[in-house]
Amino acid sequence: MNMNIFIPLIFGVVLGYALKNRGKQPNLERLTGLALLLMIFFLGVKTGKVKINGIWLLGTSILFALLTAGGSLLLALGVRG
Amino acid sequence: MRFLYLVLASLTAGFLVGRFYSPDFGNAYEIMLYIMIFLIGVDLGLNFRVGELRKMDRKALTLPVKTLVGSILGGLGVALLLSIEPKWGVVIGAGCGWYSLTGPLIAQYSAVYGAVGFLGNLFREVLTIIIYPVIIRWVSPEDAVSIGGATTMDTTLPIISRFGGRDVALLTFVHGFILTSIEPFLLPLILSL
Repeated sequence: MNMNIFIPLIFGVVLGYALKNRGKQPNLERLTGLALLLMIFFLGVKTGKVKINGIWLLGTSILFALLTAGGSLLLALGVRG
Repeated sequence: MRFLYLVLASLTAGFLVGRFYSPDFGNAYEIMLYIMIFLIGVDLGLNFRVGELRKMDRKALTLPVKTLVGSILGGLGVALLLSIEPKWGVVIGAGCGWYSLTGPLIAQYSAVYGAVGFLGNLFREVLTIIIYPVIIRWVSPEDAVSIGGATTMDTTLPIISRFGGRDVALLTFVHGFILTSIEPFLLPLILSL
């Protein structure tokens, strides 16, 4: 994750806005779906290649994932404003 | 719902391929990510309305704070549960899913907790991809964005905007952007304590 992410995003927004102003409304659903599935596949490959040494490391990491995500969600739901 | 099964199948297939064949796809993941982000940008541009920005205002600022505090508390909870030094729990929690930053930063101080920081945050990203489409049946798509942490700016943005809807996409990006901007400063600060 880095700030390079802004480059394709800004290009996309500008292109989308230009297309909108020209009255064009392409359907991106299929293209986006396909790109997403490929991205998830490569993420899976990346995760699968991580060598995990020991049950403790695996269990602790999973517990951290569950409780940090859960803590964020609980606070988002519980604190209004 | 059918698309969720495709996502899970894709993730599982990728995991098995990575586990048993360890192929070198080079930068394929990053390239696909950039393509996805570009397409999301096009979609945002096509549907950009000033009114949506006004609707977003307060929630976009408060949600990242709740996400960060909740995540730190969750990390602290794990530390207390497993009798780990609280500092590691806090810093791993503060990572908010940004494994490529959290892992290497912690590894400067402890290789073991660096690995936990990396894996724990990587699993959070994977967990978000699997769980987000399901939990939005019970909680609002906006609140559910919090589980993705900093990853909502890029890697989990596609899945959230796909299942949460276009209205959530902008909030999701801003949520991830704020956390991504804070963390490179916050994590070294916690580690230096």
